[in-house]
Amino acid sequence: MTIEKLKPYLPWITLVVLVLLVGAINPSFFNPTALLQLVADIVPLFIMALGMTFAIYIGGIDLSMQQVANLVTVVATVYLAQFGVFVALICIGAGFVIGAVSGWITTRQFVPSFVATLAMGFIALSGARFLSGERALSMNAEARDASFGWMFGNTAGVPHELVIAGVLLAIAWFLQSRTTFGRALKAVGAGELAAVASGLNVDRIKIMAFALSGTFAAIAGLMFSVKLSGGDANLANGFLILAIVAVLVGGTPLTGGVGGVINTLVGTLIVVVIRSAMVYLEVDATMQQMIFGIILIIAIAMTIDRSKMRIVK
Amino acid sequence: MATTETTKTIGSGFPIGRETLVKWAPLLVLIVLCAFFALMEPRFLSTRNFARILIAASPTLMVAIGVTFVIIMGSIDLSMEGAVSVCAVAFAFCFLWLGGTLASWAWLALPIAMLVGAAVGFVNGLIHVKLKIPSFMASLAMGFVGTGLALMMTGGDRIRIEDELFRSLLTERILNFPLMVYVAGIFLLIAWFIQTRTTLGRNFYAVGGGEDLAVASGLNVNRVRIMGFTLAGVFFSVGALLAVGRLGIAETATGNNFMFLSITAVVVGGTALWGGIGGVWNTLVGVLIVFVIGNGMVVIGLPGYVQDGVLGILVILAVILSTDRKSISFVK
Repeated sequence: MTIEKLKPYLPWITLVVLVLLVGAINPSFFNPTALLQLVADIVPLFIMALGMTFAIYIGGIDLSMQQVANLVTVVATVYLAQFGVFVALICIGAGFVIGAVSGWITTRQFVPSFVATLAMGFIALSGARFLSGERALSMNAEARDASFGWMFGNTAGVPHELVIAGVLLAIAWFLQSRTTFGRALKAVGAGELAAVASGLNVDRIKIMAFALSGTFAAIAGLMFSVKLSGGDANLANGFLILAIVAVLVGGTPLTGGVGGVINTLVGTLIVVVIRSAMVYLEVDATMQQMIFGIILIIAIAMTIDRSKMRIVK
Repeated sequence: MATTETTKTIGSGFPIGRETLVKWAPLLVLIVLCAFFALMEPRFLSTRNFARILIAASPTLMVAIGVTFVIIMGSIDLSMEGAVSVCAVAFAFCFLWLGGTLASWAWLALPIAMLVGAAVGFVNGLIHVKLKIPSFMASLAMGFVGTGLALMMTGGDRIRIEDELFRSLLTERILNFPLMVYVAGIFLLIAWFIQTRTTLGRNFYAVGGGEDLAVASGLNVNRVRIMGFTLAGVFFSVGALLAVGRLGIAETATGNNFMFLSITAVVVGGTALWGGIGGVWNTLVGVLIVFVIGNGMVVIGLPGYVQDGVLGILVILAVILSTDRKSISFVK
């Protein structure tokens, strides 16, 4: 068995090994209730990583997700009293539009996706700062519970966040694996020129991929906002690196084409386990970002498909 | 950033060539902006206000010049936020440890900070070239590591630098402009010298203009790339020193906002993301555009958050305008 054959299973192996290691250090890690809560806490990050998967799957990247989520926390908080549960539609619509515009700028205007999404992120930030009046806002607790109380809570010991995450994962998986759109995504990720030559409307597929990543960023922002019961132009900061790490550690390479949403599930779980390991090992909170940065570099180096890049710029 | 280039098509229908237009457009934009703000609010034109713009712009100018070299090579460096934070914090620790005033051995902290910057850039270049990771991602990850490192060193605290001699960067004025503006000017000239009068500078353009050709003519492209990133790191550290001199504080947040401002400045100044075009004077114009917009908006009374949005739109427009659409089939 060579390393190349082993590669698709590496994320799974990493996850199992990590879980066993952390469990060996701290047996209370396997306490089911605590474990469920641990996973439930990371659901907004998982949703963001799901969206990021689409952008990376086609070989692009979406650096605006964090700012889209920030904007959504503000939008949700400001308009909750007025629109109730329908504020979710506004939020998701905003994410979809911002993502679609990023995609349009990338595909039709030939602006590399990291610049286009970076810039769109700052436009979103501008909107968030305007709407919030540069203050940290908080939700009316009653209105929140009436509209979004269902997001958090337990049914038969299962936190509702996990159900939401499961549903979104199922939708994303269905889109990716059981639709022509999903096939087209894979074709674009595997080789854009070949996809064009075979008559696919590549531009539309890429725009849709970015729109999806924007949509998922918005859902993540909405959940985050409800969870913390407020909105702020900086609330979701720090999520971007973790989302990218989750996707790449899961085995979807920066060059796109392979991997997918199930990989991102594994990647997110790896991130959770590493995080809780750092807590058990009493790694200083200030060191965590550095460690994730290094993990990111290692993950990219291990997954990237160098045969696709004649010149690495 | 994977781009595929087909043959360059030459010539276009405009009476003024597209290249001439792209070359002079940034300067025109700057002049128009200045005229606009001056019309809206005459106080914009005062020396005091210009000094304010230049003080705010100096650290970003240094960072933007650093990334200019990398962009000329057709790569990109997004590590500036982390690099600036690490350099600022490393400088502050060394400075205080060695005596806390420039009049003592603590001046050694200045070259040490620059070495730290060079080291960050060197590692950046190594990761990019040796592990064959696209530079935007390699440097973005390094930036996260840098911010994390700065956070670890400070534990989230602010470090104050109160040495009067060092703070004279801001407090001492010659002809109404503080010393840091002149320091930035000197480093701008050094960058210009590197760009036009050294082999390294010409090699940056060779790599950016066409990597295949550069390789075919025997250039060690990997070495040029690593040196480019290292040089960028040195300029990031100068930016960090000026930023610390301006505020008198070194902290993890010292590097905040540098990434978007400097990339915007470089691109708006007319240096193409595809490499091979532009240079440090473009970057000077770009930085001035960014800070004139920021300052002018405050002067005419617009709230600060409008600036982020305007810069976001500006950077997209600048990339669109500087892209020769006939020569590109797709971008990632």
